[in-house]
Amino acid sequence: MDTFSFIASALGVYVGLAVFVLGMAWRVWQWSHTPKSPARFALYPKPKTGVGRFGALLRDTFVAPQSFKMAPGIMIAAMAFHLAALAAFVGHLRLIHEFTPLVNAFGMEWMNSFAGLAGGAAGIVMLLAVVYWIARRTFGPYKNLSVPEDYLLLFLLLGIIVMGDHLRFVGGIHAPVYIEWFNSLLRFAPAWPAELAGSGEMWALNWHMLFVDAFLIYFPFSKLTHAIGAFTTNLVRSSD
Amino acid sequence: MEKQTIDTIVGVLDKKMNRTLKLYMDTCARCAICKDACHQYVATGDMKYLPARRAELVREIYRKYFTKTGQFVPALYEARDPDENLLEELADATYACTGCRRCMYYCPFSIDTGWIVAASKAILIAAGRGNEMLGQLADAALFKGDNVEMFKDALMSGFTDVEAEVREITGNPDASIPVDKEGAEILYVALAGAHSYKSAAVIFSEAGADWTISLFEAANYGFFYGDTEKARLIAKRVVDEAVRLGVKEVVLPECGHAYRVMEMFYAAWSGEELPFKVRHILEVIDEYMKSGRIKVRAGAITERVTYHDPCQIGRNGGIFEEPRDIVKAIAADFVDMTPNRAEQWCCGGGGGIVAMEEYDKMRVASGDPKVAQLRATGATVLACPCENCRLQINELNKVHDLGLEIVQVMDLVADAMVMKGSAAS
Repeated sequence: MDTFSFIASALGVYVGLAVFVLGMAWRVWQWSHTPKSPARFALYPKPKTGVGRFGALLRDTFVAPQSFKMAPGIMIAAMAFHLAALAAFVGHLRLIHEFTPLVNAFGMEWMNSFAGLAGGAAGIVMLLAVVYWIARRTFGPYKNLSVPEDYLLLFLLLGIIVMGDHLRFVGGIHAPVYIEWFNSLLRFAPAWPAELAGSGEMWALNWHMLFVDAFLIYFPFSKLTHAIGAFTTNLVRSSD
Repeated sequence: MEKQTIDTIVGVLDKKMNRTLKLYMDTCARCAICKDACHQYVATGDMKYLPARRAELVREIYRKYFTKTGQFVPALYEARDPDENLLEELADATYACTGCRRCMYYCPFSIDTGWIVAASKAILIAAGRGNEMLGQLADAALFKGDNVEMFKDALMSGFTDVEAEVREITGNPDASIPVDKEGAEILYVALAGAHSYKSAAVIFSEAGADWTISLFEAANYGFFYGDTEKARLIAKRVVDEAVRLGVKEVVLPECGHAYRVMEMFYAAWSGEELPFKVRHILEVIDEYMKSGRIKVRAGAITERVTYHDPCQIGRNGGIFEEPRDIVKAIAADFVDMTPNRAEQWCCGGGGGIVAMEEYDKMRVASGDPKVAQLRATGATVLACPCENCRLQINELNKVHDLGLEIVQVMDLVADAMVMKGSAAS
C-alpha cells in the first residue's frame, strides 16, 4: 500500500473506529455522570405507564410525528436520508459477510445487480438530501443560525456520498474485491487486492475512506451525538 | 468584559448544569423546525426570536467553557466568551420568551428551550442584566409576603365585601370566605383582585366545601424574573401556610404559571415533597359538577363559546379536558380552536411579558396566530383560565376589534349555577 492508501484506507479506518467508539462512550459517560434534574420537564398529554412511555420514546425518536406536521419538507428529507444511510450501512455489511441465503438462491451475479440497484438508490437519496440541506443552510434564513460545524459535517457527508456513488455508478469493480480488501483490514494486514491496486477505483475508495475516517473521528465531538442523546431528551418529554 | 463577570456567568451556568440541560446543549442540530412553532418568530421573522437562536446564545458560552472541543477550535463551533453584545441579545431574546414550550412540542429531539431560557435568566441576573421590572415585582411580592400584617386589614375588608356579594348571589346567609381556618380541606390561593376569588367562593359555598382562603397571592414574579430562590420564597409562604393550617390540598386559581410553580417546580427547588395535594380550580370544579355537588343550567349560554388552553396548564400542565367538560356543560354552542390542546398557539402574553412595556409592540404582533384562530371559530365568548392570557387577549380583542367577551371559566360556572338557596325559595 502506498502512503496515502495506508493513511486513508488502513490506519485511518482503525483510528476512526477507535475514536468513534471511545468518543461516544465518553460522551455517554459524561451525560450519565452529570446530576439528574429534579425538575419535571414533561409535555402533556403524556403516557401514564412505563410501556406507554417506551412506546412514546420510540415514536418520538424514530417517527417524530409532531415535527413532520410542523415541517414536512425538512422531515421528509431527514427521514429519507436516515433510512438511506441505514440501508447503505446494512449494504456495507457485505464487506464482512455475504448474506448467503440470497446468494445461494439467486447467484452472485444477481446479488451484485440487486446490491447495485439498492445501494445506488440509497446513494442518490443521500446525495439529494445532503444537497438540499446545504442549500437550505446557505440560502435560507437558517444561514444566520448555522455555525461552521454544520457545513463541515455536510461537506464530509457530501464527500463520502459522492465518492461512494462514484464507486457504485462509475467503477467497474464489484463487491468480492472490496470484501478481500476489507478482510485484510480485519486481519490487521491491510493490502490492496491486485484488481484494485493502482486502479481509478482505488483512488476513489481512498477518498471515500478519508471522508469516512474524518467523519467517524469528528462524530463524537459534533451535534451528531443526537444519535444517542435524542433517546434521552425524547424520554424526558414523556416522563415525570 | 471583566474576568470576574465572566467567571460569575460561567459559575452560574455550571450550577444550573444538569443532565437534561447538558443534553439540550449537546444535541441541537440547528434544523430550525422550531421556527414555525414560535408565535414571536412567525409574527416578526426576527432571528433573535427563533427558539434555537435563543438557545444558541447560551450554547456559545457552554461550548467555550464546558467542552474541550469548543476551547480547542472555538471558531468551528462559534464558542465564545460572553460579551456586551451577547448579553444584550440574550437579555432581549430571553425575557421575550413566554415559556410556552410549543417549540419543544415540535422539536424532533424535544429540546426544552424554555428550560434553556431559565438558565439564561440566571446568567443575566448574575451579570446584572436581569429585567428590572420583573425584579421589582418579585421584590414587591417578597416585601408584601414578609409584611402580611401590614396589608391584612385591607385584605380582610375586601374578603368581607365579597362575602356579602357571595351571600347575595347564593341566597345563602351563611356563605362565607373563611380565613386562617385550621384543619380545612382546601386552601384556595387567589390572585390580587376580587375577580379571582368571588366565583370560587360562590362555587365552594354551593358545593359545601370545607375551605379557607390564603393570605398570599398565587402569582410568582420570581419565576418570571428567573430567580429560583426568590420564586421559591414567594411560593414558600403558601406552602408554610398550608402546612400550618393542616389542609389536605392547595387549590390554585385561574392562573397558568402559579399552578405549574406549585405542582411542577416547588419540590425541585426546595428539595422537599409537598405534604398536600395541588390542584387547579378547574379540576375541582369539574369534580364538583360531575359528582353533582354543584349543578349548572345546561345551555345557559346561547352564544358561541370557545376555549383557550393556557400553555402552563395545558401543554405544560396536562389540564385539557376538565375545562372543556365544564364549558360544554354550560354552553349550547361550543367550538374548539384549531389547533388546540397540546398544539394550541400561545396567545403571546405569558412569561411576564405583559409587565415589560419594552416588548409591547412585538407582544401584540405576536398574537397574530391567536387572533386568526379566534376569528376562525366565529365565537363571541372566550373562556380563558389564565390571568396573563386574559390580559393579552383583551388587548388583541381591542386592537383587532374581535368583539369577544373574555371570561374566566369559573365565572361562567357561577353565572350558570342553580343555587341551592334559590332552588329552596
